[in-house]
Amino acid sequence: MKPWEVVLSLVHNAVGIMTPFLLAATGGLYTELAGMLNIALEGLMLVGAFFAVVFAGLTGSLALGVALGIASSMLAALLFGLVTLKLKANVFIAGLATNLLASGLTVVLAFQLFKNKGVVRFELGSLPVLSVPALQGIPLLGGLLLGHNLLVYVSWAIVLASVVVIYRTPFGLRLRGTGLNAPTVASLGLRPQAYQLAGILISGFTCGLAGAWMTLNLAAFVPNITSGRGWIALVAIYLGNKTPVGIVVASFVFGLSEAFSNYAQGALKVPADFILAFPYFITVLAMILYSMWRHYRARVR
Amino acid sequence: MKRWSRWRELLAGTAGLSVTLGLSFLIAVALILLLSKQPLATIRWFFIGPFTNKYYLGNMLNTAVPLVFTGLGIAVAFKSSVFNLGGEGQVYSGALVTTVICLALPAANGYGGGLASLAGAMACGAVLAGLSGLLKMKWGTDELISTFLISSAVGFIVNYFITGPLDDPANNLLASYAIAPQYFLAGIFPPSRLNVSAGFAVLAAAAVFFLLNYTHTGYEMRMCGLNREFSRYGGINVSAYVVLPLVLSGALHGLAGGLAVLGTQHMAVKDFSFGMGWNGIAVSLIAKNNPLAVVPAAVFFAWLEAGAKAAMLHSDVTFEIAAIVQSVIFYLVTAQALYGALRRRKVRL
Repeated sequence: MKPWEVVLSLVHNAVGIMTPFLLAATGGLYTELAGMLNIALEGLMLVGAFFAVVFAGLTGSLALGVALGIASSMLAALLFGLVTLKLKANVFIAGLATNLLASGLTVVLAFQLFKNKGVVRFELGSLPVLSVPALQGIPLLGGLLLGHNLLVYVSWAIVLASVVVIYRTPFGLRLRGTGLNAPTVASLGLRPQAYQLAGILISGFTCGLAGAWMTLNLAAFVPNITSGRGWIALVAIYLGNKTPVGIVVASFVFGLSEAFSNYAQGALKVPADFILAFPYFITVLAMILYSMWRHYRARVR
Repeated sequence: MKRWSRWRELLAGTAGLSVTLGLSFLIAVALILLLSKQPLATIRWFFIGPFTNKYYLGNMLNTAVPLVFTGLGIAVAFKSSVFNLGGEGQVYSGALVTTVICLALPAANGYGGGLASLAGAMACGAVLAGLSGLLKMKWGTDELISTFLISSAVGFIVNYFITGPLDDPANNLLASYAIAPQYFLAGIFPPSRLNVSAGFAVLAAAAVFFLLNYTHTGYEMRMCGLNREFSRYGGINVSAYVVLPLVLSGALHGLAGGLAVLGTQHMAVKDFSFGMGWNGIAVSLIAKNNPLAVVPAAVFFAWLEAGAKAAMLHSDVTFEIAAIVQSVIFYLVTAQALYGALRRRKVRL
């Protein structure tokens, strides 16, 4: 392959791979703007990933799988939200709890349902064969244009909708107000906690979709399939300066770094463990550069 | 008056903790009833399995040893209002460094070489966590996320060494070569794997307690933890107290990994330390970041793990139910609504 062809295919792959980052970060943006650090993105994605593929396998319907995956993830988000807002638990510890619960629960259920704690494949199991490759066959919005699956375009639609919701609706205004100064929002007779809970539920929705994208693409569930993507999405929120457009750019950068490491594994014969570590190093580096930029900008002012 | 409010505080805390732990037990029972085909036997193994013989009991206490060290590491950080989410990678890389040093010195004196290998493990953890502290100090990089990301990246690098250059083809495990026998820590409760590192754990808890409560440095660390702005006003070099707690925390995590190699594993096994870092956080929170209370809290967590293991061996549930029970504890342990309106303490945020 010529160098420009490699770059082109990397970009093409990156646009697909960035989907879970984009979705999780967009959902996480709502909680972030409502003034809560959402560490639970990782766990919510994992819950969505597991239940989406399991329900798709059980019902034989991809659409039902996606819908029930999202529902499960939102249920987990509700638990996270109630513990944080009603029981007044530390939001960050409750987030860790969600991640821990997700990784434990999915393995326990996989063992209970399939007697298997490893990779659960859905074409080969005793379950009705799940035609996950058919995801590629669904009439795509711009199928010929870019050739990604439907969920990729759904994720773009969600980002566009978020721009409107966050900046052009009363709900968005109040959500952002909650993050800036909750007592002020309360003084207007509104309930800041309602907006925070809404933010958490929205992040559950997008994380469920992000998880569904991962497992339905693979037609399999792999323990801890999310492997840190929720955390990287969290960083994408900061790098994107807490704006939807910025998040698109940041997610693309992380998508590109993952696409590159996939390419490097095949073409450059780099050991797999280094490939797996690569996105984390890139993310740390991006974080450091971002904080340096902020630091020096603040000093100049 | 002051004493009375202290008692009330303690009572409120104990009541909240009892609710948390009680609920986690209920969840454990509910899970077993739901998942097991022979729930009564499973419940028995889960709760009293670890006490049924010397082997299980000793191993349970041995499981608590690294949790004491990681719990202390987290307590030091939390007391200073600094977060260290990189415990997993710090424990794991500490274990690798200890293994490498022992393998590099196959014929050295057991005490000298062993100490050197533990020093290496502590240095490794300290550097990994301290790096996040330096980044925070210089540019304000959020240590909560950076510790996690660095530790995750390092975890894969450790995997590479364990399954690559250090892999022993003679064993069928994903594990390194075994270290020389003169490095093994002496067992104290045969036939279990409990060894002298249990004593080190208790000593470490006492040392951290002393450091935090009876030294100048510890006082300044706690002051920074309570109110960083006020401490700055009082003339404390607050930026140093972002780095120092993380260095100490990382060193304690590294030590947990190193001692687990010398005392229990005798080699670096892939993913052996999984959960030690996360559970250290829960242990420290249960102990309310009090170093002395970390010891019983660690034993409690070890009991959950040992119980789940016993239930898996003797019955039909999988080990991961422990993770679910632990997550329930995580959910509730900081829930202030459970701890009464008297308590106003916040970890941060």
